[in-house]
Amino acid sequence: MRRHTMAAISAVVVATVASAALSAASAADATSTSTHATAESITIAIGGEPSTLDPLVRDDGNQRAVTQNVFDTLLGRTPNGSRLYPKLASHHPRRVSRSAWRFKLRPGIRFSNGTPFNADSVVATVRHLLEPKVVTEQASWLGTIKGAKKVNDLTVDILTKGADPIFPSRMSYMRIMPADWKSLPDFANRPVGTGPYVFSEWARGDHITLTANPDYWGKPKPSIRTVTFKFVPEGSTQLAGLVAGNFDLITNLIPENAKRAPKVLSVPSTEHPKFVLNARPGSQVTADVRVRQAMNYAIDKKAIASKLFLGYATVDAGQVLSPSVFGFDKATKAYPHNVARAKQLIEEAGATGKTVNVVGTSGRWLKDRELIEVVTQSWRAIGLEVDVKIYDFREFVSRLVDPKRRPDAIFISSSTDLYDADQQLTMYYAPSGIASSNADQRLKQWIDKARSELNENKRANLYHLAIRRARQQAYFTWLVNFSTLWGMDENLRWQPRSDGYIFVNTMRFVG
Amino acid sequence: MGRFAIGRIVHGVVVVFCVAIVVFATSRLVGDPVGVILPFEATHEQRAALRHQLGFDRPILEQFGEYITNLARGDFGTSLLQDRPTISIVLEHLPATFELVFAGIALAILIAVPLGVVAAVRPGSLVDRMSVSLSLLGLSVPEFFLGILLILFFAVELGVLPASGKGGIEHLILPALTLALPAVGRLTMIARSSMIDQLGQAYVQTAKAKGIPRWRVVGIHALRNALIPVLTLSGWELMRALAGYAVTVETVFAWPGVGYLAFQAVREQDVFLVQTIVLVVAVLVVFVNVGIDILYRVVDPRIKLG
Repeated sequence: MRRHTMAAISAVVVATVASAALSAASAADATSTSTHATAESITIAIGGEPSTLDPLVRDDGNQRAVTQNVFDTLLGRTPNGSRLYPKLASHHPRRVSRSAWRFKLRPGIRFSNGTPFNADSVVATVRHLLEPKVVTEQASWLGTIKGAKKVNDLTVDILTKGADPIFPSRMSYMRIMPADWKSLPDFANRPVGTGPYVFSEWARGDHITLTANPDYWGKPKPSIRTVTFKFVPEGSTQLAGLVAGNFDLITNLIPENAKRAPKVLSVPSTEHPKFVLNARPGSQVTADVRVRQAMNYAIDKKAIASKLFLGYATVDAGQVLSPSVFGFDKATKAYPHNVARAKQLIEEAGATGKTVNVVGTSGRWLKDRELIEVVTQSWRAIGLEVDVKIYDFREFVSRLVDPKRRPDAIFISSSTDLYDADQQLTMYYAPSGIASSNADQRLKQWIDKARSELNENKRANLYHLAIRRARQQAYFTWLVNFSTLWGMDENLRWQPRSDGYIFVNTMRFVG
Repeated sequence: MGRFAIGRIVHGVVVVFCVAIVVFATSRLVGDPVGVILPFEATHEQRAALRHQLGFDRPILEQFGEYITNLARGDFGTSLLQDRPTISIVLEHLPATFELVFAGIALAILIAVPLGVVAAVRPGSLVDRMSVSLSLLGLSVPEFFLGILLILFFAVELGVLPASGKGGIEHLILPALTLALPAVGRLTMIARSSMIDQLGQAYVQTAKAKGIPRWRVVGIHALRNALIPVLTLSGWELMRALAGYAVTVETVFAWPGVGYLAFQAVREQDVFLVQTIVLVVAVLVVFVNVGIDILYRVVDPRIKLG
C-alpha cells in the first residue's frame, strides 16, 4: 500500500506556482539528464528509509524495493501479475500431499558470498520465517507455512497448515536467504542474496547503494552498474529532483504532476479504495439493503476516475479485485450511476434525512480525503445526512478492527498483493474478517471452503458466488481501481509492474 | 550562585520528567500501537500476541514504571521498526540536525544584523522599509512552502544546487536558507529596534561629541550593546529550529536529521522511537535553557531564580 502523506497536498499547492518554473526548466532538463543517463548508474527516489534489509522480518515497502534486487524467490511473477514462473526453483512446485509442496531447485547457483544455493538455504529461510516475531508481521503473506524439509541437496518440501491453494503465489514473495545467514556479520544491515545486485553501502538517513552482481545466474543480466536508492518522503521534492536530473526514477508521483515529469508510465495497480458498509443487524440506517444499494447508485464512479484521478483509474467492477487477480468475476459489473433510482430506494426504506456515520483517515492513500468528500456529497444528494469523522491513522485502525465501534461506513483502501481473491475476501467479505461489517454466514462458508479447495475451477466458482452475493447485498460501495504512476528520465527504458516491484535488472538506459 | 544553579537544574529535570509523562501517555492513549505495526490482515489473535510480546497488555502504570526505571538505566527502548536501540538511532541522526540548525541560525544572524543596523541608522529610508517588508515576508511564508519554492528556483530552474539529500556544502545551502529566512525576519526586527534604542542613549551622544567617527560609534560602541537581545533571540531561534522547524525542513529536503527521523517514526508509528526523539530533543532544549540562565546570572548577578 502506497502512502501519500504531505506529498499530495503540497504538490497540488505548489503545482500552480511551479508550472512556470518547471516549463522553463524543461529546456535545462535535456542537458542535465544526459549526464545521468549512462549505463553506469541509476538513482531511484523511494518514499522512506527501509527499516531493515532482512528480507523477511518486516512488512515494509521501502525494504522490499531494495531487497527485491538483492534476493531471489523460488517463483517469479510476470509483470502484469497474471502468471507465475520458476525462478530459483527449476520447475513449478508439485503437491506431494494435501499440505506439502515439493520444489526442485536450480543447480549451480551461489550467493554473492560464495555460499551455494540449495535445499539448506530454503530450510534456513523457512526457519527464520517461523521465528515468532517474523511470523506475525508476515502473517498475511506467509502465515500458512508450517515448516520445510530437505529431501536431497536440490529438492525440498515446504509444509503448510492444511491445504493452501495460493501457496505458489506466496513463493513469489518469500526471498531466499543463505543457509549460513546467522553467522554472517550484521546480516540485517549487510544482506547477502543470489539476486542481480549486491549490497554495497547504507548511508543512514540518506541512501543505499547496490552494485551489479557480475556472476548473476538469471536473466536479464543487470545492465546498470550502480543503483542508489535515495530516501525522499516529499513527493514534490522527488519531482523537483527528477526534473533537475538528480533522480532517474521517482515512485511518489500524483496524477496532477504527471505532465510535469520528463516521462511518465502508469500501470493499473491492484489497489481498490472502498467504503465498507455496516450491514450487521441493528438499528443503523445501513442495516437496510435498499439504503446500501442506493449509496452505490448515488456515486458517479466514471467521473471520479476521470476528474479526480485525471484518467489514471478505472471503475471497480463491483468486487475490490482487479481483472488480473485469481477469482475476479467477469459477470459482476459496477452499480450504474442512477441518482433517481437511489433517491427512490432511500424513500422506500424511509431513510430520508437519516444520518450515516462515516469514518476515514487522511494522507494515508492517494486522494483518500478527496474521495471521502466526493462520495459523501453524493450521499447527501440522495437525501441522507452524513456525519464524517477523519481520524489519525492509529485511531482509525483501532476503530477498523473493533467490531463494537463499527461506523455505518468506513473508508479504506487495500491491494491484492498475492493476486488471489483469498486475501481481500477473507478480510473484508467474510463476516469473521478483521475489516468486515456484515453477518452473512453464506459468504463465510464459500470463502472458507475456497481456502482449502485445491481444484482451481471450483475455487474460482466459490469466489464468484461470494462476489455476486456481496454485490447484490451491497456490503460495500465500490469505487475505482487506480494506477501507479512512475516518473522517469526520458532515456530510461523500463516496463513497470502492476505489483509495483522495482527490478533494476529489467531497466536500461538508451542514448 | 551554587543554589541558583542547582535550582535551575532541578527545575530542568522536573520539566524533562513531565515531558516523559506526556510522551508516554500520548503514545499509549491515542489508539492501539499494535494496530498499525501489523498489516490490516492480521487476526485478533496475532494482534493480541504482539501486544503481549511488546508488553502493551500490562497495566499502564506498570508500563510507565518500567519505562522510567529503564530510562534511569539509560535504556530508551528498542525501535519497533529497526530492531535497534532507539537512542543509537537518534544519536546517529543528531549531527546532521546540528549541522543544519547551526548553519541556518548562523546564516540568519549574518543576514539580519547588518540589515537591522542599516535600517536603524537610516530609519524611514528605502533600506529600512525594505528590511521591514522582507522581515514580514520571512515571518509569513511557511518554511515548508518556502523550501519547495527554493528547490524549484535553485535546483530545477537554475540547476545550480541539488534538490535534496546530504553531501557536500552545496547540499546544505537550500535547507539552511529555508531554516534561516523566518528567523531573519524576527532577528532583523530585534536588531533594528535594539540599535535604535542604543543610538538614543547618552553614551552614544557623548562618543559622537568626543569626535569618534560615526562608523566606530555605530559599529563598535552601539553594536556591542545592541547585540545582546539579538543573541538572546538567536538562542531561542536555535531551540525553535531544533524542536520544530527541523521536522518540516528536513522532510522537504530529505535531510537525514532527527526531524526527518521523527517524520518517519510518526508515519510508521514506531512508538518507542518517537518517545526517544521527543525526550532527547526536550533534554537538549531544557538544558541549553538552563545553561543560558546560569550564564546570565554569571553576567548579571542581579538576575533571580523565578
